[in-house]
Amino acid sequence: MKNFSRFARGTGVVLIVLAIWEVLGRLELIGQGALPAPTQILAQLWKDRSDYPPHLSVTLKSAGTGFVIGNIIAIVAGAISARFRIAETLLRGLGMSLFAVPLIAIVPVLLLAFTGTTPRIILAAMAVYFPTYIATMNGMRNVDPRLVDVVMVAGGSTTDVLRWIRVRSALPHIVSAFRVAAPAALLGTLLAEFGGGTRWGLGTYLLGSLGQANPSRLWSIGLVATAVAASAYMLFALLGSRLTRSSMSATVQTSLPMGGATGPWWKRLGGGVISAGVVLGLWALVLSILDMSPVVAKSPFAIVRYLTTDPRASVSRSRLFDAYSETLPLALIGLLCGLAAALLLAVILSLRPALGRAVLPFALVSQTMPLPALTPLIVLVFGRSILATVVVCVSVTFFPSFVTISQALATTSSAAIDVVRVSGGGRFKSLRFVGLPGAIPAMVTAARLAAPRALLGVMIAEYLATGDGLGNLLNESRGRLDYGMIWTVATTSVLVAVIITQLFGLAEKLTRK
Amino acid sequence: MNPISRRQMLIRASAAGVGLAGLPAFLAACGGDDSKSSGSSSGTSTKFTMQAAWVNDAEFTGYFVALTNGYYTDQGLDLNYQSGGPDVIPESTLLAGTSPLALTTPDSTIQAIVNDNAPFVIVGAQYQKNPLGVVSLKKNPINSPADLVGKTLAVPPSNTVSVEAMLSISGVNKADVNIVPYEYDPTPLVKGEIDASVDFTTNVPFTIQQAGEEATSFLMYDYGFTIFNDTVVVTKDALKNNRAEIVKWLRASRMGWDENFKDPSKYPPMFTDTYFKGTGRTIENELYFNNAQMPLIKSDGGIYSMSEEAIAANLEALGAIGIKGTRDMFDTTLLEEI
Repeated sequence: MKNFSRFARGTGVVLIVLAIWEVLGRLELIGQGALPAPTQILAQLWKDRSDYPPHLSVTLKSAGTGFVIGNIIAIVAGAISARFRIAETLLRGLGMSLFAVPLIAIVPVLLLAFTGTTPRIILAAMAVYFPTYIATMNGMRNVDPRLVDVVMVAGGSTTDVLRWIRVRSALPHIVSAFRVAAPAALLGTLLAEFGGGTRWGLGTYLLGSLGQANPSRLWSIGLVATAVAASAYMLFALLGSRLTRSSMSATVQTSLPMGGATGPWWKRLGGGVISAGVVLGLWALVLSILDMSPVVAKSPFAIVRYLTTDPRASVSRSRLFDAYSETLPLALIGLLCGLAAALLLAVILSLRPALGRAVLPFALVSQTMPLPALTPLIVLVFGRSILATVVVCVSVTFFPSFVTISQALATTSSAAIDVVRVSGGGRFKSLRFVGLPGAIPAMVTAARLAAPRALLGVMIAEYLATGDGLGNLLNESRGRLDYGMIWTVATTSVLVAVIITQLFGLAEKLTRK
Repeated sequence: MNPISRRQMLIRASAAGVGLAGLPAFLAACGGDDSKSSGSSSGTSTKFTMQAAWVNDAEFTGYFVALTNGYYTDQGLDLNYQSGGPDVIPESTLLAGTSPLALTTPDSTIQAIVNDNAPFVIVGAQYQKNPLGVVSLKKNPINSPADLVGKTLAVPPSNTVSVEAMLSISGVNKADVNIVPYEYDPTPLVKGEIDASVDFTTNVPFTIQQAGEEATSFLMYDYGFTIFNDTVVVTKDALKNNRAEIVKWLRASRMGWDENFKDPSKYPPMFTDTYFKGTGRTIENELYFNNAQMPLIKSDGGIYSMSEEAIAANLEALGAIGIKGTRDMFDTTLLEEI
């Protein structure tokens, strides 16, 4: 009965929101018709219904193929890393790069190197690698040692341990990583589709629809993309709960070992240098396999030359610097706003759980809504301004931060709360003296996890709408056939994102002490 | 809105893929390629790839007509038509060897030849006049560069230099025009926030019409910025080894364009369920586009022609924005063989 009333209340909230939306849309109250009414969007969807199947099938095929390839690589890499510490060290740079990379910076490079839908598959595979890799490694490593002892005592080998314990232990982790990985694969595919190359794909459809002054079309494409991502998410959530026969937390901890390098500083530094070397080596290897024209394909050395000894190096450096000085502050502002919004909602949820539950479905939708589909909608409503960029940034950083922070608030030491209660403090007091101080490290963790997303969000907004910063530099360089700059933006953005992540990781260690 | 809409720059990107050479087979297999090829290839036909400059729209109607009517097949070519897109640089496919022929903007191509010694040759020009122009509303018309004095003009950042060249050629002091960045969105123009914008005159007036306003425009070409667009570019290697195929391609494509312009309203609706299916654009838009582009593509010397005067005018206009091309970057001898 309680479940039913909760369900009824949830449905009620959704209906109220839809009704308000309908009125706002019909009266063209937002952005002079930039927000069409839900019924107008549905009507447009019906009108365009024959367009969707060919686009969707290509997108699903690319995203699905990338999802499978990326996950196979991630599981193998995760299993090897769980077994051999040295492999973990070697692969750390790769994992960090793939975690931090602003995917949009990679699209032009992939389109230089591959044709057809291959760039989309690769980008999807890149997007799924990290969560699955981490889940596999943790799942296989963190097994109950007593179980291992049982197998060993019974005469089992390490292979038996792997088979009977480690794989079983890792499976639920991997499946829950898939929940994160599936929307990520769709995001990667859509971003690459935006670059063009072949006729079909939801991203291509969106691209063609952008110049048409038809907001209902943009919204319906956005909703279809979100529905796809959300169904994939729910599919794996369902699979996961069947597998473990229990409910799971809302997101996966994809973060644990990132700051986990231990040992003396020289050892960590050495590990860092070696793992960065692995990334550079892979890059050089792929280039040599592809055998591309050196005019188009740039090796790590070529980029160093481009920025140092090339006759135009100083011009290139200053263009790059200018672009970063536009992009990074916005990403930081967006990140802080996203964190503040997440903290606010987490606090509200801890004080008024019912209110929080009503907002939660919308927060979930915002998590699965693919960024390239979301950005044009935000631009429609907020215009081509800094505000739109910040809103894009908030929308991508908000949900993961919210999850991290509210987990921290929920796990506030109950003994400490009891102390507050006994001394006569209420919910607010316990939040102020126990919850919030406890949430500070969580805020830093959230910042570390969300920082790369903030950078990606700003770059997409710049690329699609505002024409500033790094996103615009990519646009311009393409027009000028400035291949050196295209590769430089891709490389430096990964580097910058990794450095920012590491800095937050450092701050995290300090706050946890 | 029209963010990265087409023609975001006069230099536009295109060309899908580059460099499949030696890429791991499994990726290639997964990758697939959905470019359309013309009908069935008879035993004698040669596979030939072209890289278009943008996603499918009326700009490429001539090629779709030639594909549909079998003109390439008749020439013994099995054409693999590769669509473009914002991140696709047409010249890149030439460098990577995935396509021997691409449609480009002359400024980017000549800049690549000058700066990077790119081995490109321009063998034809689809647009005799670049469709880029100054678009304004009929109720507040801007009919020439002189009318821009005291007005606000939105210009895509990458076209600023070209616009300044046009102004100085027309004797207008650029300080007298308020130039603001244009983000490919006709809305500010419709709302009256700006007086004019620089965009493709073949396309954006339709969108403005849809928004309930009448547009008027003039070409930058007619005021000194005299460049082609969609130049047909091949590599020096291709010119040496595939000259016959390139001539066949020019012949069949010219037939396609000639057929298309017999009645510019005939073909776009026929491609509703083929080349223009699911592009997100309306057939009415393509019809407008196809009609508007006819005078810019047609030429007394035949489609693709590059007269000596036109080449000289291109070189002069590009020289004015600091791109120093030379006559030998153009090769008109293939057109003579059509």
